[in-house]
Amino acid sequence: MPAVIEVESIVRNFGATRAVDDVSFSVEPGEVVGLLGPNGAGKTTTLRVLAGLLTPASGSARIAGIGVKEHPLEARKHLGFLTASTGLYDRLTGREVLQIFGRLQRLDEATLAARIHELAEELELTPFLDKRCGALSSGQKQRISIARAVVHDPSAYVLDEPTATLDPVASREILELVRRARARNKAVLFSTHRMEEAESLCTRLLFMRAGQIRARGTCAELLAQSGKTSLTDAFLFFAGALS
Amino acid sequence: MSPWRILLGKELLDVVRDRRTLLLTVLLPVLLYPGILLLMGTIIAAGTLRLKNEPMTVAVVGAPTLALLSKREPPPKTSWALHTRAEGAALLKDQKVVAVVIAPDDVEATIAGGKQAVITVLYTKRFDRSMEGLDRIKPLLDALNTQALQVRLDALNLEAGFVQPVKTDPVDLDFQKDLGPLLASRLLPIILLTMLIIGALYPAVDLTAGEKERGTLETLLVSAVRPVDVMAAKYLTVSLVAVATALANLAAMGVTFGMGISLGGPATTTFQLTFGQVLTMLACLVPAALLLSGISLAVASTARTFKEGQSLMSPVMLVCLAPALLSQMPGVELGPFTALIPLLNVALLIKAAVLGTATALDVGLTSVSVLAFAALALKVAASAFNSETFRFGGTGGWKALFTRKPV
Repeated sequence: MPAVIEVESIVRNFGATRAVDDVSFSVEPGEVVGLLGPNGAGKTTTLRVLAGLLTPASGSARIAGIGVKEHPLEARKHLGFLTASTGLYDRLTGREVLQIFGRLQRLDEATLAARIHELAEELELTPFLDKRCGALSSGQKQRISIARAVVHDPSAYVLDEPTATLDPVASREILELVRRARARNKAVLFSTHRMEEAESLCTRLLFMRAGQIRARGTCAELLAQSGKTSLTDAFLFFAGALS
Repeated sequence: MSPWRILLGKELLDVVRDRRTLLLTVLLPVLLYPGILLLMGTIIAAGTLRLKNEPMTVAVVGAPTLALLSKREPPPKTSWALHTRAEGAALLKDQKVVAVVIAPDDVEATIAGGKQAVITVLYTKRFDRSMEGLDRIKPLLDALNTQALQVRLDALNLEAGFVQPVKTDPVDLDFQKDLGPLLASRLLPIILLTMLIIGALYPAVDLTAGEKERGTLETLLVSAVRPVDVMAAKYLTVSLVAVATALANLAAMGVTFGMGISLGGPATTTFQLTFGQVLTMLACLVPAALLLSGISLAVASTARTFKEGQSLMSPVMLVCLAPALLSQMPGVELGPFTALIPLLNVALLIKAAVLGTATALDVGLTSVSVLAFAALALKVAASAFNSETFRFGGTGGWKALFTRKPV
């Protein structure tokens, strides 16, 4: 099955610092790939290159076979991107947010209305969908953000530490999103610092340090490579904090 | 629907629901400025009237002075009180008297002898009552002078013109009876440009740095939309808010001048803007809004937070306001050269429009010049929106304006 997310030899510098150094990987439909690594490892930069927010010095990224650099708009039509710091427009209602982002993804009005209805049912948005986002709880906001990211039903999900600032209740929404995406054969790239999330959700793991991928494989393979019994210890091993 | 139109609708909905923006940029100035002008006029008029009707005592030093003053009726609500000079000065300091009049002991003999008598009036500008006291005494002393002069002229069989061979009679044809246009020409350029700047700066910071801080900008930029569409929507939104602010203020000032502004005392001036004058002002205000929106967006886009954006805007505001203040300097008028200097030309054109001296050439040159600079500002703003500094803040500050890395 062809990969939905493809990254080939990406290099990205910030001044004299090489933030991403020759990174390559792919994510196939139905896969959840976890991107692990300490702060400053290059995870966010890699994901931003993948989303077309940053331009790589060399290398290429493709989503659903479309070059991100060459055709960013077309590529983003297949991308659902969510981070922990993703904000919502406080003065707009959840429905208005979904309508705007659906229209920006070129969904026709009938399809958009049906999709909003579907997401409202699935994520239980109906009680607060017509309230302004500024008046919502953090959990409700998170659910609207998830719906916003996937309103166009993308084939690739890129989630950058989406649970980093969330409480366990709000985090659960994200984890459910990932499970549902996997069940629907979506390709999910998921960066996180929470090892229990990576262990329970990811089919494969990539470990980054100093801009490079230092280890890759299933959870069991990474444990074997590190000689550790827990993913947290394996993380510390690959990060150079444990021998 | 094209993406920029979808985003424009979103931005306008967001701005219209932002009570803080509406209050600060449109409603408050519209209510505040006419309110302040009317209130100030009312307070000044009431204060002046109260002083005119207030009983006041003037200290008179020496019986000869009292005798001289008593030759004529004292000014209304004014009484004389005999004191020494030292007493009078002390009472003036304590505000017990409003002035002290001192004439030499031989004042009447001096006048009768054809010589000059010097009458001293002690007063102080520190107290309004003392100024009013001087205003009451001077006509009386002038009348005594005129009376004595007439006696001398009659004795010599001379006419009044003898002592003043050349008399200046300045006649201001335009403003002698109505100071409205003059006042409006001073106030409108400054107020309209100030409000235009405020109307552009606040939304520009909110829609760029504010969005970055709230985490909504990245959301927008990862959707299927080009940065230029995001920029176009924000640019049009900021321009529309700026124009709305300027129009609201123009209307409010028009109504205020139409109702009349008190200049103190019973004097009130009125001024009605004609349709042509409004059109002339619009011809420069709309391009000015486009220019200021471009500048504001370009600068605000370098900030990472709303607070940082606000601090960046302070110098921008000062620089943009300087031309409005310069337009009030004597000798600075709209001409082929000044019509090409952005914002100064706008202030001068508003001034000329109010005074009725603006020509079609002035309007054309000003509009074209400002539009050209607006296009330049738009280019800088577009470059800003296509940069990584705009997306992620970079180093922020003014430096970022010149060190942007395009994506």
